[in-house]
Amino acid sequence: MPALASFTLRRLARGLVTVWFAVTVTFLLLRLLPGDPALAIASPTMTEETRAAVLERYGLADPLVVQYGRYLLALVQGDLGTSFTQGQPVSSVLLERLPWTLLLTGAALVVTVLVGIPLGVLAAARAGSGLDRLVQGLGVTGQSLFVPSVGVLLLYVLGLQLGWFPIGGAYDRDVYGGEWYLSVLRHLALPALSLALVQLGAYVITLRSTLIEALGEDYCALARAGGIPYRRVLWKHALRNALLPTTTLVGLQLGFLVGGAVLTETVYAYPGVGRGIYEAVTQLDFPVLQGAFVLLAVTVVVANLLTDLVYGLLDPRVRT
Amino acid sequence: MAAPTRPSAQQPSEPSVDPAAEGATVEGVPGAQAAAVPGAPADVEQVAAGGSAARDTWRAFRRQPLGVLSLGVLGVLVAVAVLAPVLADYPSGTGSSVLAPPSAQHWFGTDNLGRDVFAQVVWGSRSSLLVAAGASALAIVLGTAVAVAGAWWPRLDALVGLVVDLVLSLPVLPLMILVAALVGPRTTTIVLVIAAFSWPEVTRVVRSLALTVVRLPYMDAARLLTPSATWIITRHLLPAVTPVVVVSVVLTASRAVLSAAGLAFLGLGDPRSWSWGRVLFEAQQAGAMSSAWWLTLFPSLAILALVLAATLASIAFNDARDPRSRVRR
Repeated sequence: MPALASFTLRRLARGLVTVWFAVTVTFLLLRLLPGDPALAIASPTMTEETRAAVLERYGLADPLVVQYGRYLLALVQGDLGTSFTQGQPVSSVLLERLPWTLLLTGAALVVTVLVGIPLGVLAAARAGSGLDRLVQGLGVTGQSLFVPSVGVLLLYVLGLQLGWFPIGGAYDRDVYGGEWYLSVLRHLALPALSLALVQLGAYVITLRSTLIEALGEDYCALARAGGIPYRRVLWKHALRNALLPTTTLVGLQLGFLVGGAVLTETVYAYPGVGRGIYEAVTQLDFPVLQGAFVLLAVTVVVANLLTDLVYGLLDPRVRT
Repeated sequence: MAAPTRPSAQQPSEPSVDPAAEGATVEGVPGAQAAAVPGAPADVEQVAAGGSAARDTWRAFRRQPLGVLSLGVLGVLVAVAVLAPVLADYPSGTGSSVLAPPSAQHWFGTDNLGRDVFAQVVWGSRSSLLVAAGASALAIVLGTAVAVAGAWWPRLDALVGLVVDLVLSLPVLPLMILVAALVGPRTTTIVLVIAAFSWPEVTRVVRSLALTVVRLPYMDAARLLTPSATWIITRHLLPAVTPVVVVSVVLTASRAVLSAAGLAFLGLGDPRSWSWGRVLFEAQQAGAMSSAWWLTLFPSLAILALVLAATLASIAFNDARDPRSRVRR
């Protein structure tokens, strides 16, 4: 499979370039922005002498290129610096938060796909009907939602008023075994739903329009002419082809999804990377902020890479 | 203007609500497809007709109730921002009634310091609209310039395409957070930060049309008539991409509102001026978010009204400027 191999290599190279770009942009921003570049390493609350000592220790007096090389070398070794406030390596602070963010975004994606596919198919199958217009209207509204607003609304109605779900955190402290997993799921429900609602609009609208396009193509007309029931053509023939552009959209939107996760985690005090960012902002903990961006960028790149590779396996057309 | 003859290779029924909010890719730009068919590049013909095309678009726009309604909502929001000093006193200090629900005296209730939430929302519309206008104006100018330059000089285009792809695949909000925290949350900083990370989206949309337009015969004709690249770009290329830019302005502005609100919600709003995101942030800080529903409901509705109206207006404009969808109606 030489085509598949070269496709994989190209995607891998692109992922690496993206990570390099993210890392370099961060470096340049931190060093070249107006204001004190030393803020990136030395806390503004330190005294003058401590700060000078810290700057010396981190080699901020060296030329920019030397600093850049050292920065890249440290990153390759997984060193993201030290948190001001917690005194621990940023990588360990963030890595213990990352699984929660992955769980939240993953669950949101699953909900988006599970709800989005039937809605999109329904709207496309009855294009122009009242139902179609309703789905489109909801889709456009969904795209205009502000994540924290949705989060607070769900938290208030389903969490506080109805009491169906816990209103914050990621798990109950005093339960073990199977019950612990159950409590994780119950805590996950509201944040994942909030995030999915914001994501859903774009998904449904794209799926709908690509499906309508696919249904108008010759192979669908042929299938219909050959006597295959409409429903089967819709779900088996058209949907399979419409899913590719839609999945590409999901890949493109992963960056937005991560941004939404930051806000959602803040609303629900969910212990992921996003909540870590919120706490780092209030404490002006720049190494954590920088590390969080790098880590999330790498996560998005890896997720995109995986999607691409799976699609390369499933669909020969994308290998070109 | 007479309806242009339909190109033979027609798309099946074009969705009336296209994924314009997703940045209007090629399918959101009807001209991009029609332009490949010689003879009837819809957008280009329209632009060449000048004022009458604008009038036609406006006439078609007025026939869309949702478009008119959303334009009205945008107008009201702008009016509220301009008339803020008349509508409410600047919310400051503390008030006597703390966390009071909405009443005749305080339409939107009061916050944990007894300040009037109605006043906060009214004054907050100023900074929200300012950030939206400022950030989208900057992003549009930069994004269009980059896209057009790339389309004109193919060597530049490879780099443009690469940078756009790279920036669009990064989680932008965490990057904005980092920069805003470093430089300090001022309204000007927020505008610059949002603009700095929004232009690639504009470039992506404008570039796809510009690349089609530069290959059209009339551009070759223009090249024969003048050696001046500036002349061709400003007189022929820019007008041809203007409709997409208009849609982009609106979408970038509404994205900017959401980004600014997101930053403010995380504590990166300008502490010296009110914004909708700041009202939410202070409610969160005070731990009053879940108990005092009015603290979050009203600024949230304001954000939704602005973003939704902008999105609907851009969709209506997109439909109105496309002669093919006009014929169908």
